[in-house]
Amino acid sequence: MFSIRRFCLLALSLAHVWSVTAKSSTGDSVLVVVDPKRQAQYSQFLDGLKDRGYDITFRSSKAEKPLLIEDDVPNYAHVILLAPESKNLGGKDITPQNIVELLNLKTNVIVTLSPAQTSLSSLASEFSLILPPPASPLISYFPKRDESPTLIPISVPDKSSPVLTKHIAPVWFSGIPQALGNSPLIVPILKAPAESFAGELLTQGGSAESLVDAADKGGEGLWAGSSLGVVTGFQTASGGRITWLGGADMLTDELFQKSLPDGSKPGNADLARDITAWTFQEELVLRIDQVNHHIVNTTISKELYTINDNIVFSADISKWNPSENKWEACSGLKDLQLEFTMLDPFIRTALPPVPGSPGKYSVSFRAPDRHGVFKFVIDYKRRGWSFLHSSTTVAVVPPRHDGYPRFLSAAWPYYAGAISTSIAFFLFSALWLAGDARDSRKGQKGAKAQ
Amino acid sequence: MSSKSQPSSNPMASLWNSYNDQTSNRLKFIDSFLVYLMLSGIVQFAYCVLVTSFPYNAFLSGFSSTVGQFVLAASLRSQVNPANKDEFKEVSPERAFADFALGSIVLHFFVYNFLG
Repeated sequence: MFSIRRFCLLALSLAHVWSVTAKSSTGDSVLVVVDPKRQAQYSQFLDGLKDRGYDITFRSSKAEKPLLIEDDVPNYAHVILLAPESKNLGGKDITPQNIVELLNLKTNVIVTLSPAQTSLSSLASEFSLILPPPASPLISYFPKRDESPTLIPISVPDKSSPVLTKHIAPVWFSGIPQALGNSPLIVPILKAPAESFAGELLTQGGSAESLVDAADKGGEGLWAGSSLGVVTGFQTASGGRITWLGGADMLTDELFQKSLPDGSKPGNADLARDITAWTFQEELVLRIDQVNHHIVNTTISKELYTINDNIVFSADISKWNPSENKWEACSGLKDLQLEFTMLDPFIRTALPPVPGSPGKYSVSFRAPDRHGVFKFVIDYKRRGWSFLHSSTTVAVVPPRHDGYPRFLSAAWPYYAGAISTSIAFFLFSALWLAGDARDSRKGQKGAKAQ
Repeated sequence: MSSKSQPSSNPMASLWNSYNDQTSNRLKFIDSFLVYLMLSGIVQFAYCVLVTSFPYNAFLSGFSSTVGQFVLAASLRSQVNPANKDEFKEVSPERAFADFALGSIVLHFFVYNFLG
């Protein structure tokens, strides 16, 4: 009895261990680059990460080690750059080029910006984010409050971004906004309030006139309104995720706890949780487990299809479940498409989920009446979701020489024509030769007669 | 020979009479073969236009067998015609027939390959 209880306890504790292990689909090691003097300010945020099972390594913003990438292999699954003020983050290692390289190696990055210009400010434009001029933080005088106009409570509309999962209370924000470019890879997470603008504070020598000037010039140089982002995600084509925070202050313990103007608790902790969950590939992560194609009513996959064959294509798709720490079949995609392409898609059709078999999507279609090298292509790119791409090459050939129907009744006149021509040729030849012989005999007779 | 033919009011009839009178039996024999091939080709073409061109390869091979045979027979006719003796000094009638037979056999080989 006792042993059973112990076993149960062991199982429970094991389950507990499992439940707190990393929930990211790509790994649990996190490098946090932070000024050691300010590290304590972020304790709640970092402890939250640890509680979710992340294995955090700290690196001073002035130190050169540990390296982000060693021997072309990333050392960490995720990187947080929490030292926005540092002009020169850790010397040679943390450069815009290296961060791009990290993303190519599928490391996820959270970058915090600040009104000061750093080497990372120039990187933002590579991600289609346009930063305001240096030393112009986001300012809002609404709602009326005691705090500095640069410390702004921003309300978070429900479902305003696929990244934000649930209702989040307004968050405190202090930092710079980003104007969003046209890149479809951008995932806006939090927008600036409509009545906010970026500029120099009046108390620090700025003036409202620069804003008026900008407005007079038709908005040129005007950084204002809700089209600006303050927290913006970006998912690269290779699947790496990077999130730009307009300021690091929103992650501090102070702002995690500071009461909103109406006295309620701010949503900074929830927002930080959602941002890290998305950036670290916990949420909105899909993958294609396998694809399968065969002729209708058979099961064997073929490399070669004949024109006009009826083909069944199916794909199994999983979604990462961060709470169970495993991949789960996902039948929830309603707008998945399959393309059958040879340079251009000859067929583009919906790939609907199969009722009754979770995670399976299947469609049957007739191959085009065109031979060549075709590809089954799934290309599912939705804002916030990891991109699904699958391409399977098959050949579509004309029927083999014995694949056609033969001796059709409709063709009998042609067969008869060809056969009768041959017979006529033989008869003609025979008669011609016979006539030749007769002629030559005649000729001989004629010669004798002469 | 011209003394035999009566001046006629009908040019077609006079053409026919002159052909009958002036053409040797051998050439007439080739001509009848040519006429047969032409009729066979016309029938197949009419069937293709009026009924069906499917299967198209059968039509092509049946029709081209008559056309090809017609061309070969026509060249045989011009080579054995005594009137063209000056043009084909090198080619004896026997040689011409051998060419015709070989060409026809090759033609029929291709036709039957393409017919099915």
